[in-house]
Amino acid sequence: MATLLAQRKHWLISMTVVCLVLGGMLGVQVHTQQARGLTEVGRQTGALVARLTEAEAQLDKQREEIDRLRGLLAEYEHEAASEKGLVRLMTEELRNARIALGLLPVKGSGVVLELADSTMMAGNEFGGQDVYVIHDFDLVQIANELWAAGAEAISINGQRLIGGSAITCSARLIKVNDVTISGPFTFNAIGDKKNLMSALNIRDGVLDRLRVLQFQVKLTPQDGIIVPPIAVPPKYEHAQPVQKEDKQ
Amino acid sequence: MIALPLCALIIGFLAVYMFLPAVPPRWADYVAIAILAGLDALVGALRNWLERRFDEAIFVSGFFANMILAALLAYFGDKLGVDLYLAVVVALGIRIFNNLGRTRALFVTARVEAKRARTATAPQ
Repeated sequence: MATLLAQRKHWLISMTVVCLVLGGMLGVQVHTQQARGLTEVGRQTGALVARLTEAEAQLDKQREEIDRLRGLLAEYEHEAASEKGLVRLMTEELRNARIALGLLPVKGSGVVLELADSTMMAGNEFGGQDVYVIHDFDLVQIANELWAAGAEAISINGQRLIGGSAITCSARLIKVNDVTISGPFTFNAIGDKKNLMSALNIRDGVLDRLRVLQFQVKLTPQDGIIVPPIAVPPKYEHAQPVQKEDKQ
Repeated sequence: MIALPLCALIIGFLAVYMFLPAVPPRWADYVAIAILAGLDALVGALRNWLERRFDEAIFVSGFFANMILAALLAYFGDKLGVDLYLAVVVALGIRIFNNLGRTRALFVTARVEAKRARTATAPQ
């Protein structure tokens, strides 16, 4: 009995030592992992956040500068417009060109289209999840439909569509004017309300196709829709106006 | 009886966690492997004890030797550019799981047998 007890005690001691070591190693590991999490990920995200805020602050500053310069320009134009004759005509022309280029915020009646992914999920009767999300080509089709119906200004989620606007998709992100936007999508389109409504609601048209798949589509005619200006106007580096002597 | 090792586990954890600095991050993987090996030895010991073939010398030597060997294996794997780390994790993981399952089975069998013995000796 005594030997058994001694053996047992011995066993207990070794078990205790082993557990002490194991506990210590667990302590090391937990400590290290926490330190690692703090240093690597923490530093990285910290740096990224700092850079992001910096970039955003810079962007805000530049936006302010753009606003200031545009205000100045508007003032000059206003002054010029109050004069008569050629200058006035030119100012008018300039204004129209600006609207066409999307450099001015514009306001008017038209339609607002709100669009969100389908409430249906993959595994329903049609293929994969891809079928139930809004793609770049859906937006392209809607924009085309709106232009064709005589829309004068269109924006998607605040991004003005102009002649050089591209709606693209890379890595499941939709980009308009090189700015990433995500659903739900809102089209603001200024133009003849009736025309725009009927163009979008045309039978077997783009909205019909989306409605069948239970996409959340909300189309409303509205007055006083504001379409913002384009953030970065296009540059013309390669294209030059054709001179008379160029033509053969 | 079980309280002493349990206390030692907690004390060891707290002592190192509170008073010792963290090891360099590149060691973390090897420490993790060593812990896994230690855990394996512990679970193995539990199983052996239930099977009444627990040997203290084997347990203690196995505990330390396996820890060191597992970490060394992972280290050499890294040096050779082979993910031996994963092999060790998988092997130890499977062993721990098997031993735990076997331990549970032994417990249940012991219970059932005890119950049967009790009903058999009970007066009719």
